[in-house]
Amino acid sequence: MKVPWFEGVFPALVTPFVKKTEEVDEQAYRRLIRSCLPDVNGLVTSGTTGEFPYLTREEQRRLVVIGVEEAGGKPVIAGCGASSTQEALTLVRDAQEAGAAAALIVTPYFLHPSDKGVYQHFYDIATGVDLPIILYNIPQVMDAYLPRTVVEDLADLPNVIGLKDSSGNLTYTMELLEFVSDRINIFIGHDEVVLPALAGGVSGMILASAQVYPDVWQEVFRLVAEGQVEEARALQRSVQKLSRIFCRYGGGVAVKAALKMMGLDMGPPRKPLKPVGGALIHETRAEIRLELEKLAKIPVEEAAFEYPNGPLAERFDDLEITPEIIASHDMRIGSGTAGEGLNKVQIDLIAGGKQTPLGDAYALQLTYPLHGREALTTILEPALTVRPSTLLLPALPQKNLRQANMIYGPTQLALARAIVDALEEGHIPPTAVDGEVMVALATVHPRALDRHALYQSVHAAATLALAQTFA
Amino acid sequence: MGYKTDWFKGIFPALVTPFGGAQGKPFTADDKLDEAAYRELIRFVLPHVNGVVPCGTTGEFSYMTLEERKRAVEICLDEVDGRVPVVAGTGCQSTRETVALTEWSRDAGVSGALVVAPYFLKPTFNEVYDHFRAVDKVGLPFILYNIPQCSGTHFKWWTAEGMALDLDNAIGIKDSSGDMPFMEAMFEKVKGKVSIFVGHDEVVQAALAAGADGAILASANLIPDVWQRVYRATLEGDLATAQEWQQKVQKLVRIVVRCSSTQAVKEGLRMMGLPIGDSRHPVMPGGGFRREDYGELRLQLEGLGKIAPANVLYDLGDKQVETQIAATPQTGRTISGFTMKVGEGFAGPPFQELAHVDLLLGLKDGPVGRAIERSMEGWGEERGLRIINERPRTLLVPTITIHTAKQRRLFYEHAAEGVNLAIRLSIEDGFLPEGILDDVVLIANVFVHPAASIAKRVEFNNYKATRHAIRKALEGRPTVEELINEKAAARHPFRYAP
Repeated sequence: MKVPWFEGVFPALVTPFVKKTEEVDEQAYRRLIRSCLPDVNGLVTSGTTGEFPYLTREEQRRLVVIGVEEAGGKPVIAGCGASSTQEALTLVRDAQEAGAAAALIVTPYFLHPSDKGVYQHFYDIATGVDLPIILYNIPQVMDAYLPRTVVEDLADLPNVIGLKDSSGNLTYTMELLEFVSDRINIFIGHDEVVLPALAGGVSGMILASAQVYPDVWQEVFRLVAEGQVEEARALQRSVQKLSRIFCRYGGGVAVKAALKMMGLDMGPPRKPLKPVGGALIHETRAEIRLELEKLAKIPVEEAAFEYPNGPLAERFDDLEITPEIIASHDMRIGSGTAGEGLNKVQIDLIAGGKQTPLGDAYALQLTYPLHGREALTTILEPALTVRPSTLLLPALPQKNLRQANMIYGPTQLALARAIVDALEEGHIPPTAVDGEVMVALATVHPRALDRHALYQSVHAAATLALAQTFA
Repeated sequence: MGYKTDWFKGIFPALVTPFGGAQGKPFTADDKLDEAAYRELIRFVLPHVNGVVPCGTTGEFSYMTLEERKRAVEICLDEVDGRVPVVAGTGCQSTRETVALTEWSRDAGVSGALVVAPYFLKPTFNEVYDHFRAVDKVGLPFILYNIPQCSGTHFKWWTAEGMALDLDNAIGIKDSSGDMPFMEAMFEKVKGKVSIFVGHDEVVQAALAAGADGAILASANLIPDVWQRVYRATLEGDLATAQEWQQKVQKLVRIVVRCSSTQAVKEGLRMMGLPIGDSRHPVMPGGGFRREDYGELRLQLEGLGKIAPANVLYDLGDKQVETQIAATPQTGRTISGFTMKVGEGFAGPPFQELAHVDLLLGLKDGPVGRAIERSMEGWGEERGLRIINERPRTLLVPTITIHTAKQRRLFYEHAAEGVNLAIRLSIEDGFLPEGILDDVVLIANVFVHPAASIAKRVEFNNYKATRHAIRKALEGRPTVEELINEKAAARHPFRYAP
C-alpha cells in the first residue's frame, strides 16, 4: 500500500569508520547527514552503500537512532538486509524500536532461494512486524533479480509500500511500473538512469550519489515533475560520469573518496574493501576530483604556465641538446600547435641518429624517473611501440594523476598515430626508422580534461611538427 | 535412431583454411584460398590423425563463401585420398543452406558432416531439432555440434539426447563447450549409441578418460602428434602419460582456445615454418591474439621442439657473434644496429599486477652504457635505480615513484626477479649469447602498479614482459608493416574516460 511520504530524494548513506580501529564514527555520520539534509526528503541507513553486510546488529540500530536524531522529522529508512529471514526480522524489529519509518529489505542472497522461498521471506517479515516494508532489487551484488511475478503478489501485502530497483535495467523497471505502481511506489536506485526512470514514472530515488550532489537530484526531480525534460536532461548529463563511477567503479568506496575531497572525511571502508586500489583504482579517484571541480563542489587549482616560445632549436635544453649540437649532428626539428583554450597543445619534436647526443639523451631519459616529467615510450597500445622509437616528454611537471592520465592516454595515442601516419605516407625516410630516435616535448594545459578534444589537438599538432621535422 | 560408426574415433584436427599466401595480407587481391598451403598443412598433420575436418569453426567457415567451402572440401578429399575419413563442416545459419551444402558434401564423397547448431537468430530448441531433422534426411552421417561460445545456444542434454536417438543418420556429438557436467550427461544418456567427441582443447584428456571417443581440435593443427599420444595412452589405460602430455600442452592450448583460435593457430603454424596467412577480417593480428600471446605461444612451441633452431649472426660492429636460436621466418639471419635497440613488453592480467617494461639494449660504450654509468654516478641511489645483473649489466628503473614498503618489496624483489629470470632464460635460449654478455647492457624501465598485491603475478608478468621485450628489441618488432596494419584499430587503454 502506498504512503504519501515515500517520494523524492533519499541518500543511501555511507557508514563512516575510524581509520585502523574500523569503529563507526558517529560524529562523522552526523556531519554527513547535516550536509545533505536540506536537499533530501529522508535518509537511508545501512544500505548497500552503507556496507550493511559488514555491520553488526547493534551498529545498524545505532545508525537508525542517530539518523532519527539528526533528521529533523524527515523519515529514516533502515536498511535491514540479511541472508536469512530470521536475521532480517530481528533487524526490522530493532529498526522499528529505534524509530525508523520503514525498512529496506534486499532480496535474500548467497544460497539463492527459489521464487517460493523469496516470497516467503518477504511475507514472513511483512506479516511479522508492524512497519512499512520496501523491497529491494539489486542483482549486481545478489546475482539474482527479485522476480516481477513475486513482486506482483507481495504488493498485495498491506505494509509493503514500495520497491527500490537498483538494477539499472529499465525494461525491468518499466515492467514493475506496469504491474504494481497502482499499489506501491517504485524507486530508482541506479544513479545513471535517474532521469529516464523518473520520466517513466518512478516516485523517487535512493542513491549513493544523493549524499554528494543531493541538490542536483532534487532539481532533476522537480524539473521532471514540472515537465521540463530539456533542463533535467542537462543536469543528469552533468553528473553522468560521476554517477557511472559510483555505480560501477567503487560504489560506497568511491562515494567516500568524493566526500573526503569535499571535506567530509568518512574514513576507509571496512576490510576486505580497500580505500583505493581495489574496485576504486587510483586513476578513477583522480577522475572523481576532476568531476567534482566541474560541479563546483571543490575549488579549482589555478596553474600559471607558458607554452614554450623563442627559437625552436633552443627548446631542447632539458635533453642537453643545444642549437650547436642540432646543427653539427644534422638533427631534424619541427613544431606544431593546435587547439583552443584548455585543449591547446604544442608539440616540439626532435629527431636524430642513435649515435648522436640525442641517442644518449633518449637512454638517459629512461633512467631519470621521479621528477614529475617522466618520459614515456610512444605506443599505439601496449606492446605496439612506434618506429622510429620516440619518447614523449611532458613539458610541464605532472602534479597529479589526472594530468598524467591526459598525457599517458590521449596524448600518447595521438602522437603515435601521427607518427605511423607519417610512416604510411612515406614522410619518414626508411633509414630513420631504425637509425634514428625522436623526442616529442608535449605542452598540454594542466587543466585539460576533454580527452577527445585533446586527442584531436595532439594529433593535429604532432602532424604539423612531423611535417616540419621531415620536410 | 542414430548409430555408432567404427571410423568416427580418435584425433581429428579442425583444419585452418589458409588465405592469401605466405605473408597473409587480408583484404588484398591475394585474399583467396591458398591451395598449396592447404595441401601442405594436410600433409603435415596426416601422419598423426584419424581423420580431418575441413571448414569447421577453426576453418573460418563463417567467413567463407559457399563456393570456397566446397573448394576446400574438394582439396581436402583429393589430398587425403581416402587414407582417413574427411568430415566436412556444413553448418549454415538457415536450414535451406545447411541442407544444400550437406547434400553437396554427400555427393562429393565425404565420410560425414559436422553440423553446428544454427546461430545468431537463436532459434528455440524445437526449431533447432527440426533443423537437424532436415539435415538427417540428406542421408549423410552427421555430427551434432555444440559450441555455445560462438553459436550463442547451448544444447540442453534432453535436446541432444533426443536428436542423437531420434535421427537415423546422427553418428555423434561434438561438444566444444568445455562443460564437463554436460558431457557427463551425454555419456549417461547416449554413450555407445553414438560417438561422443570433445571439442575443447583444455579438457581433452579429462573427456577421453571419462569416455569420449575422440577429439576434434583447433590445436591438432599444431600438435597432432601430442594429441595422438594422449589418445593412445588413454586407450591403453596409461592415464599417467595422458595426463602428463595434457599438462605439457595446457598453456599452449589455453592460448589457442581463448585468444582468437583461428589467428593463434595460423601464427603458430607460421612460427613452425608453414606458409599460412592470417585470419580473415574482422579477426586480425594483434587483436584477440595479442602480442604477449604471440610470445607465449612461441615459447610453448619451442618447449615442445616445434620450432627448429637456426644460426643467426649478431653484428656488433667491431665484433661478430654467432648464435643458435629458435628463429621464426620473421627473425633476420643477421642482426645489426646494436648501438641501441628498443623493446617493449606488456603482460597481464590481472590489471593491478600487469607488467609494462620499456627495455633498452645496446653497446656498453654506446648511449645505453653511458646512460647507466652516468645515472648511477649521479641520481641512481636517490631515485631508486639499481643494477640487478652484471652479465649483461642491467639497470632496473622504477617507472613511477615508490612510496610504500609493499611497493618496494614488489618492485625490488619480485619485479626484479622476473626481469632477471627473463635474462637468465634468454641467455640459455641463445637470444643473449655468451659472446655478447660483456659488450651489451640493458636498461629495464619497469612499471608496477601502486595497487599491486599478488607478488608471484608481479614476478611472472615482469618475466614475460621482459622476455618478450628482449626478443622484440632484437628482432625489430613490431615492424613498420604491423604498425601500419594496426594503426587505425589500436586500442589504447588510457585513451578513454572511465
